[in-house]
Amino acid sequence: MSRHLAQRLGQALLVLLAAFTVAFVLLQALPGDAVLIKFLGSEMGLTAEQIAELRIAYGADAPVWQQYLHTLGNFLSGDFGTSIRAGVPVASLLAENLPATLLLAALAFGTASLLAVALAVLSQLGFAWARAFARSMPSFFVAVPVFWLGIMLIQVFSFQLGLVSVIAPEPWEELILPVLTLAVPISAPLAQVLIRNMDQVFGEPFVAVARAKGATHAWVLWRHVARNALPPTLTMAGVLFGELLGGAVVTETVFGLAGLGGMTQQAVANQDVAVLQAIVVLSAAAFVTISLAVDLLLPLFDPRLANRPAGAA
Amino acid sequence: MPTTRRRLLAAPALLPALAAIGTRGAAAQGAPVRGGTLIYLEQQTYTNLYPPAGGHYPAGGVLNQITDKLTYQNPQTLEIEPWIAESWTVNADATEYVFRLRPGVTFSDGTPLDAAAVAKNFDTYGRGNRDLRHAVSEVITNYQRSEVVDPLTVRFAFRAPSPGFLQGTSVIGSGLVSPATLALPFDQMGDATKIIGSGPFVVARQVLGRELVLNARRDYAWGPAKHPHQGRALLDTVRIIVSGEDSVRVGALLSGQAHAARQIPAFDENRIQGRGFQVFAPPTRGVNNSITFRPDNPLVAELAVRRALLHGTNAQEVVDTLFSPNYPKARSVIASSAQGFVDLSDRLTYDPALAVRLLEEAGWTMGPNGVRQKDGQELALTAYESPNYARSKDTLQLIAQQWARLGVRFSVMAGDLGSRTVDSLDPAKTPVAPAMVGRADPDVIRSNYHPRTRNMLLQTGGVSRRVQSFNDPALNALLEAIAAEPEQAKRLALVAEAQSLIIDKAYAVPLFEEPQVFAAAPRVRGFGFEAVGRPSFYGTWLAAR
Repeated sequence: MSRHLAQRLGQALLVLLAAFTVAFVLLQALPGDAVLIKFLGSEMGLTAEQIAELRIAYGADAPVWQQYLHTLGNFLSGDFGTSIRAGVPVASLLAENLPATLLLAALAFGTASLLAVALAVLSQLGFAWARAFARSMPSFFVAVPVFWLGIMLIQVFSFQLGLVSVIAPEPWEELILPVLTLAVPISAPLAQVLIRNMDQVFGEPFVAVARAKGATHAWVLWRHVARNALPPTLTMAGVLFGELLGGAVVTETVFGLAGLGGMTQQAVANQDVAVLQAIVVLSAAAFVTISLAVDLLLPLFDPRLANRPAGAA
Repeated sequence: MPTTRRRLLAAPALLPALAAIGTRGAAAQGAPVRGGTLIYLEQQTYTNLYPPAGGHYPAGGVLNQITDKLTYQNPQTLEIEPWIAESWTVNADATEYVFRLRPGVTFSDGTPLDAAAVAKNFDTYGRGNRDLRHAVSEVITNYQRSEVVDPLTVRFAFRAPSPGFLQGTSVIGSGLVSPATLALPFDQMGDATKIIGSGPFVVARQVLGRELVLNARRDYAWGPAKHPHQGRALLDTVRIIVSGEDSVRVGALLSGQAHAARQIPAFDENRIQGRGFQVFAPPTRGVNNSITFRPDNPLVAELAVRRALLHGTNAQEVVDTLFSPNYPKARSVIASSAQGFVDLSDRLTYDPALAVRLLEEAGWTMGPNGVRQKDGQELALTAYESPNYARSKDTLQLIAQQWARLGVRFSVMAGDLGSRTVDSLDPAKTPVAPAMVGRADPDVIRSNYHPRTRNMLLQTGGVSRRVQSFNDPALNALLEAIAAEPEQAKRLALVAEAQSLIIDKAYAVPLFEEPQVFAAAPRVRGFGFEAVGRPSFYGTWLAAR
């Protein structure tokens, strides 16, 4: 097991280095750069000579390989550089935005899981109308544009009914609508996978055996089906992380929340390379960590996976 | 360095002036109430708060509350009035300025705002600071040096006449900050808590990209000498909250979750006023929202083609279709509220028949696909939209439809900021570009057109290395004269001449005068604006519900 773990960790580091390098190369390949955008496209009206001076001051004219090694070295020592657009260190931006997004993502994911489980359970109950409803919801959820949903929730619950405030909200109400907005699209694939797995597991011979022994439908559902339907869902959950970040961009913009989503959008729009570089590495790290965690968790639900020889994954 | 760059407020910024309603309203509606918190919604977050970078609207909106200026430009009369400077003298050729400062003024970190501090501020803004990456201010020209005559007297010397300097001391970009702030590198000036001014508000708390909380400075006693309000600010606190989505800002305002908001879409104005809320539209006083041509590109090198496009553009339709009466149709290159404006509407007529005739005479014949051709070349033009201007994409697309009727193809591109920045420097890729600049000084026209400043026509001698040969020495000489002419009447005459020349050569198609549109709840009183339409909360107060 520990050898397996060490291998996975090594792979993770490689993935991180690759993400850093690819991001660096792609960002270099874009036309223009942050210094040009900040000082040329801006309101400051600088002359060519002044811009050239600033480019030298920012190191934007150094050879690319030098910039790469320099940036990599800084990253390894924990220095993410400075956002040229915002005029603050990237680390401060992260400190300000990362916790907010983590909280939003965690709550949205939790809510999405509850929704998905509720739908899945509903889909296996006796009432035909409930089953039909539960089975059609995921397609509907995934079709609703996040942007539209967010605006609608705000219009109805905040502006019309006045139930929650979106401008200057109290801490307890700040995340209610954003979490709902984000949870709906995330819950859809989870519910879909869960429902399909449950259907499949219900057809397995061991379920028939359990039934033959006199188990009730509910007993079978909770004790056998749910448990066996979980592992693929867990894998799916890891993949959904990307969706969370993407959804956060829209949600944070609509609700005016601080967070990585809005920060990413601004950085992309302004080619704020230092910020983008940090976000790419951070996202890669999150993906790697989550898939590692999923890998380690799966055997707990499905002991068959734990018996594989190390390295056979 | 002959470059002058003056107070141009940048793009979104362009909208100047005063709407005044606020300050006048306060007197008319009973005694102002002190205290309370105002919630103000911004569309974007501020980025860098180095004062000369304050042309960016969201940054200007913050700097105007936390910094004071040497002088105050009265937003109604545009006269320069005393503020931190009690009085001043200027020599005959505008190469030497002496300011006498008001005693007892301090920055919020306790350091005195004295002659040494003022000298340090203008040395930075006038010359820049390479080590700290501080850029030269766009509003200061020909700056040579400062001299502290005594603790309350400072003298500035210029290498050449700098008639715009006095007005230049009144703009957001000349906000006075503590020497401690000027010791910071540019890279750290995006942190509002580090920007120490002497203004009526101080930064209390910041959530980067989301919210800035300003508290009134209790001991503030040095507002502009002739401002109707004196003493400390009336509000206790202003919360500036970023809310990027238009419908959320408007909905929040109308549902009572916020008191005021910037950047109100034209199509929401009626609804807001219909609910009894206030809409303010301070004008820009600068270069109108226009389409500019890059004659270095052979397609628009010919005067006949540019004139055809000028007369083939229906600015009235643009205003009627996309905007509101707060966006008056342009009558010249600069706004009717700008200094030196001359009405040239008779040369800006919409006349599609004339446009077609001009194109025919110039040899552009209609091709089989509805696009005119000459020597096998199609009359197909391209421009990038500018997200900083009001409904830029819609405006350009409507004009594309109008030009299509003449047989001209006009493609409007969105593009990422990097491509836009790079392509906008290349006349071959962008023969057409939208432009506008806000600023209450005659120099604004030079800022927009001179190659050493914004260079909207892309002449040789500017930042772009892609320009082959286009240069108009007559225009540039005129623009340089505007920057250097000490006598106001002569300066305005030069501004009039420049407007004529730009229209006669059809370098630009002026569309409309772009305002900055704000809305506020009925109980908000004294909502003021500086000369180019940035909010001022100094005299603002909240009436009882």
